Amino acid sequence: MLSSEKRSLVRFLVIYLLSTLLLFSLASWIFYTSSKHHLLDKQYEVLKYEAENLKSTLRDLHQSDASTLVYPRHAQIQSAIYDVEKQYIFGTLNAGHNFGHEEVDKLSYRTKIEPYYLGAGYLLLTKAIDETSIAMLQKEIWLFMLAAGVFFSLLGYFLGRLFVSPMREALENMNHFIQDTTHELNTPISTILTNIEMIETFGKHQENTAELKRIEIASKTLSRIYDDLTYLNLNHDYHRHIVEVDMSALVRERIVYFTAMAEAKGLEVQVDVVENVVLKVDKNDALRLVDNLLSNAIKYNKTQGLLAVVLTQDSLSVRDTGIGIKSKDLQQISQRFKRANSAEGGFGIGLHIVSQVCENYGYVLDIESVENKGTEVSVRWVK
Amino acid sequence: MGKIVLAMLVSVQMFAGIQALETHCLACHQKQNIPSNLIYKRYLMKYSTDKAVENAMFKYLKDPTKRLSIMPPQFFLKFPMRDASVLDDGTLRENIKAYLKHFDIKKKLIVEQ
Repeated sequence: MLSSEKRSLVRFLVIYLLSTLLLFSLASWIFYTSSKHHLLDKQYEVLKYEAENLKSTLRDLHQSDASTLVYPRHAQIQSAIYDVEKQYIFGTLNAGHNFGHEEVDKLSYRTKIEPYYLGAGYLLLTKAIDETSIAMLQKEIWLFMLAAGVFFSLLGYFLGRLFVSPMREALENMNHFIQDTTHELNTPISTILTNIEMIETFGKHQENTAELKRIEIASKTLSRIYDDLTYLNLNHDYHRHIVEVDMSALVRERIVYFTAMAEAKGLEVQVDVVENVVLKVDKNDALRLVDNLLSNAIKYNKTQGLLAVVLTQDSLSVRDTGIGIKSKDLQQISQRFKRANSAEGGFGIGLHIVSQVCENYGYVLDIESVENKGTEVSVRWVK
Repeated sequence: MGKIVLAMLVSVQMFAGIQALETHCLACHQKQNIPSNLIYKRYLMKYSTDKAVENAMFKYLKDPTKRLSIMPPQFFLKFPMRDASVLDDGTLRENIKAYLKHFDIKKKLIVEQ
């Protein structure tokens, strides 16, 4: 994993997990508060129920003529009766227990008694809060938070990888592009330098036709690389000047231009060009279209192979007997930086430029290829 | 020694109070079968505190009418309306306090074991 990718992933995970944690903490807190109230309400209901029982007992005691009146005792609940002035009368609570006194760990229920049986105007019941159910609730929430944390961490990692993958691809493409550019520029420059050196050493004593030819090819290669890169770079802001372009003349001219390269590879060139094929197109677009089709067909051809160029009123097709393209790669071959074979030179921008030109003018690009047999690229402008 | 003297004085006072209650109130109540305990409970059920009960009783004994009585009107079909007390206010209040103490229901209360 690239360091920038790792950095982006970590940042994404931190933001994602922190916001998720915040959201879940808030939701859990609301849930906990609500559930705790519900549990306390249930315990409160027990006090209310016991209060009603106690009121009934007080009525019985009040009406009794027995010499002793037995005030009921409850295992978990303490109670006391108070007069209308809230003064302690009797109960299982400590004598003198203040009617309004609240204890943190206890639930209290206060109710009026009417009529005042035994003189009691108020009844107070208290009960220790049952912490077991609350502790259980806390435990469940912590377990839920833990499970959600693990789940969302894994989900976040997966999503993060998914989000940074286009960036990783772009970075990898850029790295390849830089490597390819270096390599692609290195070959013609080395050729030019070597041949100039040979001319300087032996030039005075023999003809230099071969060296000059190689320099010419290398210079044209450099020129084409420059043109392609400029075209790609300026494509979005480029103002097209649409004119009638004689495609027949243009194709012939570019075949001549590439003759030296084709000869260097020993290619047989078959040209079938119909006269007076005219397109309304920007001349530079037409040039880049033809140049890239021819350049690719030469570059990826086999030595002593065949290069067939056919221009009709409807289309231009360029066929080679080269390495071909795998059928699974055919769909993506016109994408930027995509190459049929990384062993050959090039940036993988040739067919991308061709497809862009076709897209701009509504031409139909058709690629037919058989691996190790050859490729035929056709551009049709009449639908 | 002081405590013994004090205890003796309190006991004498209490005994004197009960004697006065017997003379001024209960003797007549018992003679006419007036349910004193029931009357006490009705007062307690309505007024809650001893002080409030004392005031209500005092008011009634000074001016015995059906309106001021704690008992229902039917009660007076069976029992005659008594005359206003001739006791002075202080003695009357002392007697009411002794009455409340005598019938105090709260002292009968014990907690279930």
